[in-house]
Amino acid sequence: MVHTLKEEDLNTGTRAKKFIVWLFVVSSTIMFGGWTSYYIVFAASKGKGHGLVLPDVFMYSTAVLICSSICLFLASRALRNGDQIKQKAFLGLTLLLGLTFGYLQFDAWSSLYHSGAVLVNNNAAISLIYVVSGMHLLHILAGLCLIGYTFYGASSNVSEDRQRFRMEVSSIFWHFIDILWIYLYVFLLLNS
Amino acid sequence: MSTITLHDTHNHDDHAHGHHKETFLTKYVFSQDHKMIAKQFLITGIIMAVIAMGLSILFRLQLAWPDKSFPILETFLGKWAEGGRIRPDFYLALVTIHGTIMVFFVLTAGLSGTFSNLLIPLQIGARDMASPFLNMLSYWFFFSACVIMMGSFFIQTGPASAGWTVYPPLSALPKAIDGSGLGMTMWLISMILFVASSLMGGINYVSTVLNMRTKGMDLWKMPLTIWAFFLTAILGILSFPVLVAGVVLLIFDRSFGTSFYLSDIVIGTQVLPNEGGSPILWQHLFWFLGHPEVYIVIMPALGISSEVISVNARKPIFGYHAMVYSLIGITILSFIVWGHHMFVTGMNPLLGGVFMITTLIIAVPSAVKTFNYLATLWRGNIRFTPAMLFAIGLVSFFISGGLTGIFLGNASLDINLHDTYFVVAHFHLVMGSAAIFGMLAGVYHWFPKMFGRMMNDKLAYLHFWVTFVCAYLVFFPLHFLGLDGVPRRYYAFTEFEFMQKWVTVNVFVTWAAIVAALAQVAFLFNFFYSIFKGKKAPQNPWESNTLEWTTPVEHLHGNWPGEIPTVYRWPYDYSKPGAEEDFIPQTVPFSKTMSSNMPHDFEGNAESERIQNEWNLKQQKLEDAKQD
Repeated sequence: MVHTLKEEDLNTGTRAKKFIVWLFVVSSTIMFGGWTSYYIVFAASKGKGHGLVLPDVFMYSTAVLICSSICLFLASRALRNGDQIKQKAFLGLTLLLGLTFGYLQFDAWSSLYHSGAVLVNNNAAISLIYVVSGMHLLHILAGLCLIGYTFYGASSNVSEDRQRFRMEVSSIFWHFIDILWIYLYVFLLLNS
Repeated sequence: MSTITLHDTHNHDDHAHGHHKETFLTKYVFSQDHKMIAKQFLITGIIMAVIAMGLSILFRLQLAWPDKSFPILETFLGKWAEGGRIRPDFYLALVTIHGTIMVFFVLTAGLSGTFSNLLIPLQIGARDMASPFLNMLSYWFFFSACVIMMGSFFIQTGPASAGWTVYPPLSALPKAIDGSGLGMTMWLISMILFVASSLMGGINYVSTVLNMRTKGMDLWKMPLTIWAFFLTAILGILSFPVLVAGVVLLIFDRSFGTSFYLSDIVIGTQVLPNEGGSPILWQHLFWFLGHPEVYIVIMPALGISSEVISVNARKPIFGYHAMVYSLIGITILSFIVWGHHMFVTGMNPLLGGVFMITTLIIAVPSAVKTFNYLATLWRGNIRFTPAMLFAIGLVSFFISGGLTGIFLGNASLDINLHDTYFVVAHFHLVMGSAAIFGMLAGVYHWFPKMFGRMMNDKLAYLHFWVTFVCAYLVFFPLHFLGLDGVPRRYYAFTEFEFMQKWVTVNVFVTWAAIVAALAQVAFLFNFFYSIFKGKKAPQNPWESNTLEWTTPVEHLHGNWPGEIPTVYRWPYDYSKPGAEEDFIPQTVPFSKTMSSNMPHDFEGNAESERIQNEWNLKQQKLEDAKQD
């Protein structure tokens, strides 16, 4: 009796907390929706978009980010199978790829900068590239913290329930920012 | 059995909240208990409301006596009121900060923060919020936002002065006016903290309502308060992020020199390099939040008055489902009407027409709600408690302010009325006074739940009548100023010849505002005195059905000492024919109220219907036997 009551309560607790992450995903999507609609209205009223050929680095960074998502997926599968070594390895790999993504984004900014498409620009569409990719990078930073936390949980004595919960939360968040970046990249490609 | 259950919950509490002993710091300051957080929101909200009211009195003084000097102002305000007269730039700061505080800090955080936090877990039967930690964070973000906003009064260049909508280019150019300097930066930082706080709160409320309802509490058994808080939180989650998007771009324009909102600007003789941006885009982003925001302000107040009116009319709320569907309708419609704030921006007339139609459609669910309130009151066994008076006051303001909304929603009429005192009168009645009255109704109604004591009735009646009458005296005359074309946010419009005649009305309005402000002293005294010295409250002082009144008067972490009660019926079984008392709490099963059950209570459950029919037959036989 004691056991079932507690368990039921904990289940509602984690379900509700996971739902919180989903709601965060919704609100974050809407924020980026705000910027992309700014872009659409701006481009429609001025009759011009950013008009750039986006640097190739963005393509590489996208690929890296997708790889990191795959690694995270493999890590959570390893957790399900109870393979802790594999789980930690894949989590570490996800972290590494996430950091690489961040580096590549800076690289992309620098090549944009050198091509003359600077942040302070009379074409607000170009400035917006920096804003959305920068805000996305902040999300990546938060995601890295989450994954680091999960990694830490996997390396220390945290109960399996907690581990699974952390893994699920970071998975929802990381896959979301992955998809978000793909959306932003495709959006910027299509609306040049 | 019962001892086992008690033991279980104790165990559970320690686990769920992870601490055994509470220190002063964890109990009163960094509390994770939703009831304490609600009180923190309420008291912070009240303090901010008093400050914002004080600011309004200051600018009302200027409007009524533009030529007179008040040396006392200089004593308190220093260089902002040199020679005892409010300076023009300070006047603009006053209206800006008054609006910001009232809309965001009082009627969003103060209202939703207080009552969603207090009532959601208590009325749906949960031990706390989905994430108590996030909830605590939400309060402290809000608190920091308040501190930063107030801090802008203590800097050399003064607070933001571009109006609460902070339209660029005025807000985007630090050099444009004093208020657009550091004050504006602080405004933006404060708003980002505030939005973060609202989002953390809102996300928590939605998750709690959807995941943590007690046994038997299906969505259609939730009190209308919960429906209102739930839909308000959804509105916030969907609209506040867009404000953040807009604010980030504004920060880039201000601090990094981008041109999102700026183009072709000359300050003095200096031509600015910015080109290509458009200030209209800010208005789109702002009002995409801004319009849902006014429903974020009014919907919790509407939910509170549904509950208060039903309890004190001792009648089921009229049209429960219609009330819910109207709230849902308002929620959806509020996202497609923002353009009615922008009719005069050179918008395509066809687009203006579309926004006009969607705007006017909102009158339908609003009217449904209004008529349902009136129908609930109709032939009720009304108890005029202070909360009830304030709830009825809300209905009154909602009607008289709502009617002028129909004028303003018309694109062609709005060309005349835009940015005049007509608009000021409209929204101060329909969302200002109405929402404040809803909030006060909630305070008077749930004060016993929050503090375990009763407020004084006589002071409350004094507070109600003076505030109610004065609110009308303040805002009603402003309609006529607006119809005459008097523009809002002017420092001394009575200096213009054609508006000179309005100075006497301004004097009258200012006196009414001062009396209304003094009446709030009755409330403040009553509130703070009753926290410590009020009469001890019984468990269910208003004889109400909802779950919060089944908790003990003394607060405890986890709300219910034993198991969480199960819910069997909707919350509005008041004066049910055949029942022993005029209220049947949600926790009473139908098996205990055989004499008052109705066929539709069983929702088609054949077994229950059979039992009820058998019981009815037996009663019939007993009656017959008695008559023989």
